[in-house]
This record gives sequence, C-alpha cells and structure tokens, in this order.
Amino acid sequence: MTTATGGHDHGHIHPPAPQVEEISDYSVLEIALRELAIEHGLFTAEEHLHFTEWAEKIGPASGSRLVAKAWLDPEFKKLCLTDANAASKAVGVDWLDPTGAGTPSDYTHFVVLEDTPTLHHVIVCTLCSCYPRPMLGNSPYWYRSTNYRRRLVRWPRQVLSEFGLIVPPEVEVRVEDSNQKCRFMVMPMRPEGTDGWTEDQLAEIVTRDCMIGVASPKPGRTADKHPIHKARHPVGHEPKPMGVAE
Amino acid sequence: MSSSSKNTPVCRFKVGDRVRIKDQSWLFYSRVQLYARGVEGTIARLNYTDLVAEDETFNVEGEIEQHYIVQFRQQDLWPEYAFPNDTLQSEYPDRWLEPLNNSQA
Amino acid sequence: MSKSMLAINRSWGKVMASRPELREQHELIGSIQPALHYPQNWTYATSHSMFKAYTHPLHDVGGQPDVPVYYEEKEEEDWELRTYVLCETLGWKGAWNAEERRRRADVDIGYTQYLGIPYYGRWLLAAARMLVDNKHIKVYELQQKIDEVRARYVKQQ
Repeated sequence: MTTATGGHDHGHIHPPAPQVEEISDYSVLEIALRELAIEHGLFTAEEHLHFTEWAEKIGPASGSRLVAKAWLDPEFKKLCLTDANAASKAVGVDWLDPTGAGTPSDYTHFVVLEDTPTLHHVIVCTLCSCYPRPMLGNSPYWYRSTNYRRRLVRWPRQVLSEFGLIVPPEVEVRVEDSNQKCRFMVMPMRPEGTDGWTEDQLAEIVTRDCMIGVASPKPGRTADKHPIHKARHPVGHEPKPMGVAE
Repeated sequence: MSSSSKNTPVCRFKVGDRVRIKDQSWLFYSRVQLYARGVEGTIARLNYTDLVAEDETFNVEGEIEQHYIVQFRQQDLWPEYAFPNDTLQSEYPDRWLEPLNNSQA
Repeated sequence: MSKSMLAINRSWGKVMASRPELREQHELIGSIQPALHYPQNWTYATSHSMFKAYTHPLHDVGGQPDVPVYYEEKEEEDWELRTYVLCETLGWKGAWNAEERRRRADVDIGYTQYLGIPYYGRWLLAAARMLVDNKHIKVYELQQKIDEVRARYVKQQ
C-alpha cells in the first residue's frame, strides 16, 4: 500500500493552520446519509446503535480462543473442521448476530482451514476484502489493499517472506481466495515448546496474522508488529459541530 | 444443461471431479477471476446453494445454484510459478464450471 | 540570498540518518516516472483486447504485478467505522445487499476513483449512489443536506 495520504505538498510553504475544526468530505457525507436514511425511515437510530455495538465488540480474541481450544481438545478441533458455525458458539460467536440472520457482508458459511506439517494456508480476497468479521473483527487495512490482493495469489511465498514467514519448499502453500460467500480462518499448527500450556497461554500466541496465515504462532510471539498509521480523528474523537446536538 | 428451479438447485459436480473454469463475458460484473478463466481444477468442497453473484448484485430473482471450492495447482495458474506443490483454491457457482471428463452431463 | 534560500541549501550535506526520511525521499524520487501518454479523447474504435481491458471488472486484481511495500496498520477514523455501520445497517434493513454494495463500490465506480479514493470512501459513495438510484432520496436533497451538514462545522470566514 502506498504512503499517499493526499495533500502532501513537498517544497511548498504550508498555509497557516485552519482556525476551525477540519472535517473531511467523507465525514460530512456519512452524516448526511445517516440523517437522510433515518429521516426517510430506512433504519432507526436504535438499529444503527445496535449494529455499532456489535461492530465495536468483535475482534480476533475469539479466533485465538477457538484455535487454543482446538489445540487442547481433538473433538473440538474436529467440530471446527466439520461445523465451524457450531464451534464458533463455544467462543461466544453466533454467526447469526447481530441481525438474527447474520451480517449483510459476512454471511453464515464459516470454514476453518487446518494447517498440517505439509500444508500452510493463507487467505486473501482478491476482489474486495471479504473477511470473517464475526470471528476475527474487522480486517487489517493492508489486507484490503490492492497491493496484497494483487500479489498474494501469484507470489505467496514472496509476500509471506515480507511478513517474516519463510515456508519450506516441501510444504504446500495453499492460497484461499475467498471470492464468494464462504468466510475463512486459518487454524495454524501448534508450535513446539507449548507442552502443558493453558488455554489462555495458547490463545495469547495465536495472533490475528496467524489466523490470516501470514504469520506462525511461536512461544513469546504475542503481537503482530506493523507500523501504525494513526488516525486524524480516531473512533471516539468526533469533531464537534457548532451548536447542533447529535 | 439441466434447468433449475428454486427447489432443485443445479449441482452437477462432486468432490474430486475435474472441472474447467469457463471464460464467459464479464460485462458489467463478474466474480470469476481473470487468472482462473480456462484453467483446470478439482472440486475440493461443496459449500452451499445460493443465488449467483451476478443476479444478486442487480437484485434479480435468479436461480439457486450449488457453489463449490475448486482447487488449482499454482503452476497451472502462473507460467513462472516455481514451487510444484503449491495450490490455490477459490469458489465458483455451478454455471461457471464445465466438466473435463465424460461422466457428467 | 534570502533567509529561506539559505535554509534550503543547508539541507544538502546533512547526513540522512533517519530511515523515515530516507523512505520518504525514495518514494518521492520513485514517483517521478516518465510515461508515454496516449491521449483519449472521443476514440473511434478499440481492439478486442482493449475492449476487454476497458470493460474488465476493476476489482479483479489478482495476479496483477505490483511491488513490495510496507504493510502498515491503519488506525480507523471515526467516519470509517460509522460508514461501515451505515452500509451494514442499510443492508440489514433491506435497502440493499452486500453484493450490490460490492458492485457499486468496487466496479461501477471507475478506475480513477477505485484507486484514488479511500476504501471506506468508496463504501460511502456507493451507499449514496444506491439511495439515489433506488429513489430513496433525491440527488438535490442529498446535495442540499451535504451543504447543510458542512455548514455546521465550517465557520464562514
């Protein structure tokens, strides 16, 4: 993904800082559409809030726990591989949430891909950015980029090496291009050096990148390290309109 | 080709069948990737039956079809691909697949 | 020499020890690329390959060459989360399905916007266009609302 952030003037004098709170065109459009949608009865503020609450609570922790449980319990692992929707319930994920019929974008066809000593999976959606949100939360930005989507299907080992993961040539690298309604998650192999670990300890090393397939779990590896591009107005820091109640 | 109604989704293939991805017109919308068109693969999994994306995207009452995961050898997809064991899987509805052997209609 | 010219000249000879500076300079230099332009202005005909290229669904990028880049996390903007919720809530309540959203945001939008507009910006434009196309709102109503919302935030100088 490029670093284009828009509006970088190299070598020009920057204009003085604006005296008013800046708001992006997208922020304006979102507010306009949400208000119009509510005014026209397309949804209610309560329904919007209900979905927001769901969106704010999903995250990769449920996936980490699913993998940890599967590592400790062969019967549960089997359930993950034969009926992933049912297995999801064990970690508090109901694929029918929050609407009762699933989310519009994520559907209800969850599939867990099991890595073996001779098979390593990695997931992409070349057409858009389909991702198992109910189990893993929202996708990382790089996963949505044209760059990742162009390259992973054709140069998977090269891309994986950029993430620091080298797969031996005799191990099959299998790219799963999720271009329809199935939603996939990788169940990586349990690494050496974790004998006697608790579910919590195991879950801690199953990071989001491990469940996409661009990283492998290892004792001591408890975070996916990427540089972070900070938001101008992160979630929870909404610019205040002047004199208008929201 | 057999016709289908909402009650009998078209499902011509089973796991292990050899298929080829059709290369049909992509005008206005397709979820069949350029890289897969005309390529031979193997049915790896039967997923679900549902509307095909080309109908759903235009809010058209369409036919329900079986959707499959097809597995390809990477060396069949990309001429320069160096690792013979690697594979790629993706998902296609029935209408985008054609059988490779004669036992399917 | 003016003060500012002295300041600019002083940057030469300074050791570029900072990796972020080096990265930025590399990308700046790399972005200067000569190109042969084939101006398009009301063409008479296209070859079959060109027709296929022009009508190729934009979102189908798998296998296109690209270069290694710095994969970074991006912290979500507040409007981005709200855009996601807006689009999904519209889907939940039947205004559209996700496949229509994908078509509008990832294909119909055209190549320039596909590559030039932020990811969630395309979701937003797709929702706006859908609401107008499906006659939920009138475009003039939308335009007026945009101006009205903007006026709440931007003081007239």
